[in-house]
Amino acid sequence: MDYRKKDIRNALLFISPWIIGFLVFTLYPILSSLYYSFCEYKVIKAPVFIGLRNYINLFGDKSYLAALGNTVYMLIFGVPVTTVTAVAVSILLNNKHLHHAGIFKVVFFIPTLVPTIVACFLWIWMFQSGGIVNTVLGYFGISGPAWLSSITYAKPAFIFYMIWTIGNAVIIYLAGLQDIDPNLYEAAEIDGAGFIRQTMSITIPLLRSTILYNMVTLIIGVFQWFAEPLIITEGGPGNATLFYSLYLYQNAFRFFKMGYACAMGWVLLVISLAIILVLFKVFKFGEAEN
Amino acid sequence: MKLRRIAALVLAGMTVTNLAACSSGSAKSGTTVTEAAAETTKTETAAETTASENSAAGVFAGVEKEETDLSGELIYWSAFTGGSGEWDQSRVDLFNKMYADKGIHVTRQQIEGAGIKNGALMSAVASGTNAPDLIISDAPIDVYSFAVEGAFMAVDDLLPKVGIDPGSFFDGLDDLIKVDGKTYLIPQDANVHLLYYNKKLVREAGLDPEAPPTTIEELNSWAEALSIPDGNGGFKQLGLIPWIGDGGDTSGDAFHIPFVFGTNVYDPAANKLNLTEDKMIKYFEWIKGYSEKYSPTIQEWGTSAGGVFDPSCPFYTEKVAMYFCGNWMANAIKLTVGDAIEWGVTAVPSPDYGRAKATTLGANPFAIVEGSSNAELAAFFIKFCISPAIQEDNFAQWRSIPCSDSAFDGVSLTKNGDAMYALEREIANNPENGVPAMCSVSTELADQFQKARQEIIFNGADITSTLQALQDRMQSALDSAN
Amino acid sequence: MKKRKIKYDSIEYSPSVIARKVVMYAILTLISVAFVAPIAFMFLGSFKMTKELARVPFKWMPDSFNFTNFKAVFEKIPFFLYLKNTLIIVFFNMIGSLVSNSLVAYGFSRIKWPGRDKVFILVIVTMILPFQITMVPLYLMFNKWGWIGTFLPLTFTCFFGYPFYIFLIRQFLIGLPAELSESAKIDGAGEFRIFWQLTLPLAKPVLATVAIFAFMKSWNDYIGPLIFLSDQKLYTLSLAASMLKSNLDPQWTVLLALGSMMVMPVLILFFVLQKYFIQGVTMSGIKG
Repeated sequence: MDYRKKDIRNALLFISPWIIGFLVFTLYPILSSLYYSFCEYKVIKAPVFIGLRNYINLFGDKSYLAALGNTVYMLIFGVPVTTVTAVAVSILLNNKHLHHAGIFKVVFFIPTLVPTIVACFLWIWMFQSGGIVNTVLGYFGISGPAWLSSITYAKPAFIFYMIWTIGNAVIIYLAGLQDIDPNLYEAAEIDGAGFIRQTMSITIPLLRSTILYNMVTLIIGVFQWFAEPLIITEGGPGNATLFYSLYLYQNAFRFFKMGYACAMGWVLLVISLAIILVLFKVFKFGEAEN
Repeated sequence: MKLRRIAALVLAGMTVTNLAACSSGSAKSGTTVTEAAAETTKTETAAETTASENSAAGVFAGVEKEETDLSGELIYWSAFTGGSGEWDQSRVDLFNKMYADKGIHVTRQQIEGAGIKNGALMSAVASGTNAPDLIISDAPIDVYSFAVEGAFMAVDDLLPKVGIDPGSFFDGLDDLIKVDGKTYLIPQDANVHLLYYNKKLVREAGLDPEAPPTTIEELNSWAEALSIPDGNGGFKQLGLIPWIGDGGDTSGDAFHIPFVFGTNVYDPAANKLNLTEDKMIKYFEWIKGYSEKYSPTIQEWGTSAGGVFDPSCPFYTEKVAMYFCGNWMANAIKLTVGDAIEWGVTAVPSPDYGRAKATTLGANPFAIVEGSSNAELAAFFIKFCISPAIQEDNFAQWRSIPCSDSAFDGVSLTKNGDAMYALEREIANNPENGVPAMCSVSTELADQFQKARQEIIFNGADITSTLQALQDRMQSALDSAN
Repeated sequence: MKKRKIKYDSIEYSPSVIARKVVMYAILTLISVAFVAPIAFMFLGSFKMTKELARVPFKWMPDSFNFTNFKAVFEKIPFFLYLKNTLIIVFFNMIGSLVSNSLVAYGFSRIKWPGRDKVFILVIVTMILPFQITMVPLYLMFNKWGWIGTFLPLTFTCFFGYPFYIFLIRQFLIGLPAELSESAKIDGAGEFRIFWQLTLPLAKPVLATVAIFAFMKSWNDYIGPLIFLSDQKLYTLSLAASMLKSNLDPQWTVLLALGSMMVMPVLILFFVLQKYFIQGVTMSGIKG
């Protein structure tokens, strides 16, 4: 048998689970949703074809634009802050001078183990006007805002949630950090480079791909985020915490506008694709190594 | 691997500890309740009492079995959770026990929002399989939309067959239970909205706690007298925050107070929304007035975690002297802070161009799903659930009201001459009552109205233009929906 | 694992090193305290009565350590049934994730075939889709097959690959030297044999990571069970949490108790196992 043909056959066999899953659980529903996006679909009634009307309505929908804006806000502020924190924490945790690293590492993973509803309640409780966060700020003489009831400060409260759940990312960063040859640091030390210089010149560049992976994961997470905003604020106050997928969910399941929601989903797909392709180009990623 | 053994041991250890917590003491897990089983809820709040004990499985005394030829299985999706869920389960268990010999069985599923919030009901109805026979929800607005879309059965002919007269329900409920004149929802119980006030604070302000405000002007002067500045530009006590509690904590509360102000948000005959009428503008000006007069404190004290079940609710911490809420708050106060607050209650004050001593009627509606093969049995079960004997405990504890005036007489609170319950009855019978904004887009409308209100209060948005924009938008949604 | 100790004997206790250590510990401790505070509140709160929760000024410690809330959890929900359900789902999730993703990742990395990388981009793209738009068609499809009311939508679907994990494993496998497979092929070994006997054992670290991720994701999964489980007998612990919460009379302290019970065993497991999956994981592919 031809070498190539055997390889192709084997490869297809190996990836067959994904192919099947893709066709049945992904492609079919996606194509359905694409069709629905051109319809008015109340689910309990059959879909009615209306062409591009859903997409056109999106641009005039104040709530949609608010949702888009809120999500972009989280991308611009939440993603960098969370990434920097995660990387910084990982670097600290990886430091060879650190004893009892195990305890610290576990601390950062615990939040991801807390059941969603409980985590949401904890957040509501912590960010109340007279809650723990404001009490602590009070010790520094800062009068804390109304957080989840404040239009300006509700989203930052959610950014803190993003930071609280960096556990997964930290695991991956730690793995990436372990891969960096300690000799490089030795050499840099000898050359007189300080800690900051070492981090910027050695750690970050070598961690580049890991950072990219985690950023992409984070961005996708922000776009799909809906359980916690739903439970904690239901999109309020005003439309301040109405995130993209939350609004999508509301349209799909509460407002009987499944078609409209599908249109939102497809716009999301296109936008995320664009962002991620840009990121890949910037980080020069995607090519196989061997 | 050695590690696996360690992990297994640890897990076993955890399980043992959990078991120990579970078996020590008097844990009653999964007991079915019969007529005389559970003790009447003690209203004593001893230090060790948890809220759960007080809302434990209900007492059903004097329930009579009815003769019937009906038989079969029912799937019943219930939105009630927590203590209400347990009460619901116990009446299902009683029903099953009483009618087991007829081959009747009801399977209760506790599902988020009765399958409305998680799309389960929608998908089940769409696919025609796995749909329940009937549901009960605590969010009438959501349920109404489903009724409009034809997910439920019209029950005008069905109810008389099991002995329920659909005409006996309060007229004020018609907005909720009827679509195009046909009845689709069967209300279990109803709630009225009231103004609660802290008698001690009222006395301290030099006002008469037995003569609460009846007009908006009186309410405003009470609010002013009860708001105490803290000398730093803020307030250490406020009279009223008109947009929390039933003034608008959840989208279900969106239109309570505007209703009292006399607004008519939706005209079913013309299928037209009206959010920009004079009375609505006046309502918002009233709200905005409070927002400006008592800022910044009034904006800061906006929310607490669990509403009236959270001990940090500003009414309980005596930061706010008056509070809009429904009749259930009476029990919430008892459960959460016991006797710590000396409170009084009155009808929501109204402007002279509004509806005096009126309320929107909240109800927990049953609905029979279109396509159910056991509709009559479902109606029979519903009749059981709303019968006075079953509801007695619910009424006594939460002060909810029956859905028809005649049923009041059998309730113990009435028989005992309870003053608050008499007030509720009086308010419930007001012919001006209604359930506003019931239309095919009611969920989205309520949701967006809440957001608009917050924009106006917190972001200084212009009242008229915000409302006009909302009205235009929802009107087009309404028009395209038909 | 080789622990590489670099000796800095002469400068071990110099002031700058100590200062650095202090700063490091300080920052980490500060952040850790912030991270742990909500959890601590959850643990301590599960011993409290509702009234204590809102006490002003706030007191961390409960008045007394009583187990009322924990008892209440067992009274209100069939804890062990839900635990069993959760474990079943988690188990299949982990197995399915390990099996399917390693196979698929192997196919995308250790075999050369035309169009491989382009198809892989398609795999990545499917990560982006919000599940809400696929949910209803999926739900209707599962309904038709009679899967609603069973665990199948949550378990069976795990055996078909999950882009995030495919990516992780693929990156790792790419880092393995090509000579590995080549020399085995020269010896006449078939592709699957290479996969099973050579590659997989080497991939243990990343597989352990995937297993942990799969566990964490399914243990806590709220949305999946919320949507696909309509039979109360099949509910999971995360759903049970929402059953305890209610509009009328939410029992926060019982909720906290349930949260503590869900977190504690996993926490201990974690602590015991963390050495094995962090230190061991070398993601040589990712770093490239």
